[in-house]
Amino acid sequence: MESRILQLISALRASGVRVSLAESAEAFSAVDIMGIQDREEFRLSLRATLIKDLKDIPIFNKLFPLFFGTGTPPMMGGNPSDDMMPEEAQQLADALRQFAESLRQRMERLMSGDQLSRSELEALGQMVGLNQMDDLRYQNWMAQRMMRALAFPEVREALKELMEQLQQMGMSRDRIEQMRNMIQQNLQGMREQIEQFAGERIAENMSEKPRGEGVDNLMNRPFHTLSDADKKVLQHEVTKLAAMLRTRIALRQKRMKSGQLDPKATIRANLKYHGVPMEIKHKDRVRKPKIVVICDISTSMRFCSELMLSFLFALQGQVRKTHAFAFIDHLESISEDFSGSNADEAIQSVLWRMPSGSYNTDLGWSLNDFQSEYMDTLNGQTTLIVVGDGRNNYYDPRLDIFSTMSRRASRTIWLNPEPPYLWHGDSDMPKYAPLCNNVLKVSNLRELAEAVDSLLAG
Amino acid sequence: MTTLFDSTKTVKSELNKQRYIASDEIATIAYLAQKLGKPLLTEGPAGVGKTELAKAIAGATGRELIRLQCYEGLDESKALYEWEYSKQLLYTQLLRDKLNDTLGKADSLSEAADKLAKEEDVFFSNRFLLQRPLLKAILSEQPSVLLIDEIDRADAEFEAFLLEILSDFQVSVPELGTLVAKHKPFVVLTSNNTRELSEALKRRCLYLFIDYPTLQEELAVVRLKVPDLNPKLAQQAVEFVQRLRKGDMRKSPSISETLDWANALVALNASNLDKNTLEDTISVLLKHEADLQKAKRQYINPPPPPKPRTDEFGKFSGN
Repeated sequence: MESRILQLISALRASGVRVSLAESAEAFSAVDIMGIQDREEFRLSLRATLIKDLKDIPIFNKLFPLFFGTGTPPMMGGNPSDDMMPEEAQQLADALRQFAESLRQRMERLMSGDQLSRSELEALGQMVGLNQMDDLRYQNWMAQRMMRALAFPEVREALKELMEQLQQMGMSRDRIEQMRNMIQQNLQGMREQIEQFAGERIAENMSEKPRGEGVDNLMNRPFHTLSDADKKVLQHEVTKLAAMLRTRIALRQKRMKSGQLDPKATIRANLKYHGVPMEIKHKDRVRKPKIVVICDISTSMRFCSELMLSFLFALQGQVRKTHAFAFIDHLESISEDFSGSNADEAIQSVLWRMPSGSYNTDLGWSLNDFQSEYMDTLNGQTTLIVVGDGRNNYYDPRLDIFSTMSRRASRTIWLNPEPPYLWHGDSDMPKYAPLCNNVLKVSNLRELAEAVDSLLAG
Repeated sequence: MTTLFDSTKTVKSELNKQRYIASDEIATIAYLAQKLGKPLLTEGPAGVGKTELAKAIAGATGRELIRLQCYEGLDESKALYEWEYSKQLLYTQLLRDKLNDTLGKADSLSEAADKLAKEEDVFFSNRFLLQRPLLKAILSEQPSVLLIDEIDRADAEFEAFLLEILSDFQVSVPELGTLVAKHKPFVVLTSNNTRELSEALKRRCLYLFIDYPTLQEELAVVRLKVPDLNPKLAQQAVEFVQRLRKGDMRKSPSISETLDWANALVALNASNLDKNTLEDTISVLLKHEADLQKAKRQYINPPPPPKPRTDEFGKFSGN
């Protein structure tokens, strides 16, 4: 049982659920308390201790039955020839004899009403290469291949034929109907058994799979070469980055003091002067940092926009006063989309709402949108961050608006995935760059981290 | 005196006595949290009874409920403790004579300083400590239930600050040292899932997701809390609410809104759920203008259903 739980935990980890050592230890103590007699209580004690996030619950629900069974073994219909009259059995045997040897064996196997044995399943799995699979997405496909290896489709055809023949041979309609139902149920039972087995085996393989490559390596990979699983790992890193950005900005602004008197602190500080106010204490007004981010999600930026958006999402989670905008040919506020707690969903909703066309990026027009509706979001406390490649398809870059914006904001930072030597053609980057406080090249996570670092060090 | 649950069944029945209908899931995980002595983190949409659960647990165990409502900008001095400066100051003034007495007998300055140092503790003692909810839960003589409500509203720093309390049930006050809980409080945290909580916090808690109830569960709640509503109407009402939740609403009606609605129906003496009653009362359920319009369009005045297609090809439209 213990090793089974451990396997479940590693399969969870392989599916991208973060399970810490403390949590797995806790799962064991929970199981100690609740016991394993009640399946439902057992399941809940594992779930409550291992899964801490709503979006991970479906993964758990999928994996749990693969390691601890579905609770009910598949129903088998039974052997139809058990209660047959001798002459009916004779008819059946005659009808069966007309099929080829291999097909007949299979049909008889199916009619026997026995479940597939472990060794039969193992052999089937071996045949279709189940042991190499370590992703649950292949479960159905594998199950189908195993059923094909059992010649399910042919057998099904043959059974139909068999029924017709039996009918011709004069077997009663009811009997045939009964037989058909039984066989149908046998088929269904076997199918469930096979699916369960395929899932179990894949889950076991998952739990044995060596851990993915370290975060460090991933950080150096350019955005467009990342797989989905990698992105998940990176999203976590991105959250950390956003947290860092927040604290740094907060620190910079905290040091400033405003003129409001703090009576409590003043009294306390002046106790040593016998209550004569020698030292005046001011309230540390914790100035909340404000960020306005404008993110290009057009075709040329698509490869990294998902990651950039997840950075924005994390940023918004950290800094309440974040206004996030995305643009392609016009500007849209995406703060609303990011108000939930599921990063993937939020990002998908933005990308779905703003599908990219071809050659329609227009930052100038988007800036115009910004000017007419959102200019008031920029003030002396605001850091303006633009994420994009500045490729404007030769539209008017509207430098006038951009310079107003950068004047209004306390800092303007541009994150561009392209290095300066590529800034030609339709790139308006050389025109925008002088108006920014910093322009940084960000094409992988390492650079994003460094950008955040250098932004905030100064 | 406090009674603790000794099985999931008792959790269920005890909570039931507090007029809280707990599903097996809630009962099992609450029991586990109590057994393991771990905080219980409950997440779910607003108004499904997360806060109620904590209240019910407090009621069922006979413990005091100490509640900390989180909000943006909540800090230590509001959540944990604060020195009562004015009281300290007042005491110094009033005790000046006494101090003179004590110190007057001293022969030398250093002796006086020593004597004063001995009395120092007077000014930094529990007497001047203004207890906020967290400290109260820790210092409480009786075991208590600590409810940290809507933790997702507090800043991320505050979460970090909670970690010490949640894992060891102790806090450090610089002037007094570390205060350890006499009785471990039963901690319930609630979150509306508006932002992701930190890994460290989640790791220390048991996780319970409370979703909208099923038809039967919700009906049971309505019957329990609004017994005056006639059963047939209750059934209709709950079915209607469940249908609204399936629709794409900006804010789906919660259980508490269902209960408000049920009460409204009782107050209006409604006998069945006809169009007029619905139109009059639906604003109790839906709080957004857009949702209201949508519900009216879809459920109250639905457009006439399109004529069933009778042509030959209609048969295949499902494939």
